Amino acid sequence: MAHCLVTGANRGIGLALCKLLTGRGDHVIAACRQSSPELDALGVHIETDVEVGDPDSIDALAGRLEGQALDWLINNAGVMRRDTLGGIHGETLEDLYLQFRVNSVGPLLVTQALLGNLHSGSKVGIVTSRMGSIGDNTSGGAYGYRMSKSAVNAAGKSLAMDLEPRGIAVALLHPGYVRTDMVGGGGDVEPEEAATGLVARMDALTVGTTGRFWHAKGQELPW
Amino acid sequence: MTDTPTLVAHRGHAALWPENTLPALDWLINNAGVMRRDTLGGIHGDTLEDLYLQFRVNSVGPLLVTQALLGNLHSGSKVGIVTSRMGSVGDNTSGGAYGYRMSKSAVNAAGKSLAMDLESRGIAVALLHPGYVRTDMVGGGGDVEPEEAATGLVARMDALTIGTTGRFWHAKGQELPW
Repeated sequence: MAHCLVTGANRGIGLALCKLLTGRGDHVIAACRQSSPELDALGVHIETDVEVGDPDSIDALAGRLEGQALDWLINNAGVMRRDTLGGIHGETLEDLYLQFRVNSVGPLLVTQALLGNLHSGSKVGIVTSRMGSIGDNTSGGAYGYRMSKSAVNAAGKSLAMDLEPRGIAVALLHPGYVRTDMVGGGGDVEPEEAATGLVARMDALTVGTTGRFWHAKGQELPW
Repeated sequence: MTDTPTLVAHRGHAALWPENTLPALDWLINNAGVMRRDTLGGIHGDTLEDLYLQFRVNSVGPLLVTQALLGNLHSGSKVGIVTSRMGSVGDNTSGGAYGYRMSKSAVNAAGKSLAMDLESRGIAVALLHPGYVRTDMVGGGGDVEPEEAATGLVARMDALTIGTTGRFWHAKGQELPW
């Protein structure tokens, strides 16, 4: 039985991850801003008031979890806002910074704060996006979201390098275009299917494959 | 002119900058940048503020300057963004430098989107690594003089066409991985 912490656990991909992991007998710590009836129904350990864009709430979480060994840390929480060139000012510019704070800095600070809970053999997953792949970007636009996901890929790669001597592996994971609230119910994959792929990637992750970028379906993605 | 980049970065829109009397621009070189140090375990307080500062100046700055000056660019214009190999995720084998690396990876993403968005207008964009240049930014370290770096950067800008837009080049000429 692995001890797994998932952020953004109250809905979407995070909720599906918690459901899958608890269903196979793992011990799940579900972190989120506010719980949901669906998350409550799983009967897992829930940590609320966790806002990954807020360093104080991350430190508070780490304080509550002191001494709790973690085998898996899945940084799943994320936000998406839209923008187009020519319109990046005012609230749209604030949204660009919000995405950087939550999507890029959040996973870095959560991982940093929980380093004492990780041990040799632990695995860190970061749910990023193919939209953050610069090599794969042929359609342009989406400045704030793309920048935030490229930046978290950079952070994840440095985490992988820095944590390798401690036996901790890190994976950057693209879930697919998943039918969640974040994309307004669009998407072509259900959260359960995405979660199955993400868990398969985490199962396969070793220090030998640390610091790489994977599609939930298994293929490696370009930076 | 000292305050102009700040003004543009904050306002972010040419229409909000009626005093823009700049002529048509053939080249726009986004060179301004800052570097701060950090290590895992120490990213909080002032160091976290520095991480945000680097994102604001190194990543968002070039995007907003380019956006604000779009009206000054024309078919055939070229936009250069002085980024860093430190922002290459594929090239990162030494870790650390979170704030600087994140800011340079993010500006590479912005530059690639700019290249895609401006291609139809005939405006080419290049992401450029100057080398490890002996400047105040790196505390006088570095193994290349600014003049040598500038020569390479200008050569890359000279060579830039719409056919090579959206790529990442070392000042010395080789292409770099994202």
